Amino acid sequence: MNLVGLATRNLKRRPIRTSLSILGIGLAVGAALALIALSRSIQDSTREGMNELGDDLVVMQKGASDIFGGFIPERTTERVAALPGIARVSGEMVTFATSETNAVLTLGWPDGSYLWQKVPLREGRVPAAGERHVVVLGDTAAATLGKKLGDEMELIDQRFRVVGIASYTTVVNRGLVLVPLADLQEASYRPQQVTIIHVNVEHASGRGELGRVRNAIEALGGVTVSTANEVLDNDRNFAILEAISLAVAIIAIAISALNVLNALVMATQERTREIGIFAAIGWSGGRIMMSIVIEGIVLCVVGCALGVLLSFLAAFAFPHIPAIGNLISFRPSVRLVTPVLAAAFVLCIVGSLFPAWRAVRMIPADALRRV
Amino acid sequence: MRTIKAVPRNAGADQPAERPTQPLVALRSISRLYDGGAIAALRNIDLEIEAGACVAVVGASGSGKSSLVNLMCGLDYPTAGTVSWEGRLLRSRRRWARLRRECIGIVFQEFNLIPTLTALENVELALFGRGLSAKQRTARAAVVLDRVGLDARMHHLTTKLSGGERQRVAIARAIVMEPKLLLADEPTGNLDSISAASVADLLFRLREKTGMALILVTHDDALAARCSRRVRIRDGVIVDDARQATTSAGVGAMFAT
Repeated sequence: MNLVGLATRNLKRRPIRTSLSILGIGLAVGAALALIALSRSIQDSTREGMNELGDDLVVMQKGASDIFGGFIPERTTERVAALPGIARVSGEMVTFATSETNAVLTLGWPDGSYLWQKVPLREGRVPAAGERHVVVLGDTAAATLGKKLGDEMELIDQRFRVVGIASYTTVVNRGLVLVPLADLQEASYRPQQVTIIHVNVEHASGRGELGRVRNAIEALGGVTVSTANEVLDNDRNFAILEAISLAVAIIAIAISALNVLNALVMATQERTREIGIFAAIGWSGGRIMMSIVIEGIVLCVVGCALGVLLSFLAAFAFPHIPAIGNLISFRPSVRLVTPVLAAAFVLCIVGSLFPAWRAVRMIPADALRRV
Repeated sequence: MRTIKAVPRNAGADQPAERPTQPLVALRSISRLYDGGAIAALRNIDLEIEAGACVAVVGASGSGKSSLVNLMCGLDYPTAGTVSWEGRLLRSRRRWARLRRECIGIVFQEFNLIPTLTALENVELALFGRGLSAKQRTARAAVVLDRVGLDARMHHLTTKLSGGERQRVAIARAIVMEPKLLLADEPTGNLDSISAASVADLLFRLREKTGMALILVTHDDALAARCSRRVRIRDGVIVDDARQATTSAGVGAMFAT
């Protein structure tokens, strides 16, 4: 028998309290993991979507708080296209549009945009040049809206006809609604404007070339240029989401530490006499403290394992919920789990130290008199 | 109340052949007060216990016997005065813990065993922190349990043992580290007469075999008569401290294992 065996026995002696403590820790850790994974996955999904569209660079209005808030004149697209090293560009308007009762991520591309040529069609076609009030749906969007090829649908209080169904691979793009830019500009009262510009660079693999083109575009004035991976770094909405997620995760982890503290304080009070026995047979204060801290660690290990399991169960279940799965992919990862578990462990140990410290301060004779 | 300094008189039989220069335990001007001095459990006690001694501490309930024993082994701390072990003053909890780990064994009236552990595991607990492996602890604990007659019951939870068996486990735990001093605070107080006699015989037999000092707190005059020295406490002061001729083992010897 050793200290770990002794701690395990003590925890088994109070099955209900031990189970509740483990459940509390597990839910806190699982919630923290889910919240952080959620905020990260929104960013990851957006980046993946942009990468799937094949962007080397993305141009946004300087000072815009997010990708929806840019007001870039459409002629800026032509100025960018004229720069040396540019392979192709396309303006885009991005907005959340209402379709009956659904809010759908809607992109407007100009006639002749290379982005239309890259749409992975499953059925139908892309809009013809000059064609208006037609739409290509991502397959998830089609399923959510209950539309198939040839159907009419309402979008931004106007009627559109479905001419194509796309089969993108990323979660964000599978939920897209693609319309001619002119229709979206008209509906949003933003004529001859785009919110972002997609850019392909001729020799993008050269790191220096990307930087040179980036500087050249920014020199046009009034714009900032990012890679697809960087595009959300300055997005205020995502920054707020990340801050909220992190704050709630910290609160969740702190609650789990309080859980451990409460469980161990109660256990220490109930075991006052036992602690007196340990002192009577010559256990040092350090060893007594260690026995209590080990109990806290055992609770934490089992609780964290439960929390990781719960987060992966959520990752499995959430994609099946359309309100979530149509927008983001939810993926807890080792890179995400490790810091959360480390924080939970540290807090659980800290939560164990207070009752342990109280225990060794008692006069053994007083402890032995307790019932 | 006159305080009698504890200078043993009537020195007779059972004198140790060689007396060390330092007493094993020495209490000097010990007082233990509670509630800001309103309650005096012990008042200005002087007491020396030599190595190998066999001392009975007797007195009525509430006289201060247990308080005295608690101060002798560091389970409690004096309000005034000093306690020394082999001539060295003891003030820190760490040193007291070390003494209890290596030199002092304690047997309680209520047994004070861990109910969720077996007899063997309870004895093993006393061997933690002594640099022994888990196997060594188990082996040593098993030997001692065999010595107290519990080899067939060592894997039973202590809650499944009789009162007498539990006290034997407690004795095994107290002697497993071969202490120089064994303190037994009313060890037979919660036992029936046959178990009590058996446990008492065990204590005295172990003392004879090992040569450890034995301090026995008891209100049983027959038990006290088996010790070579009797210290009587009343209202927190020592009123008598005398050597005495010991009686032979009692009925329990018939049941000794």
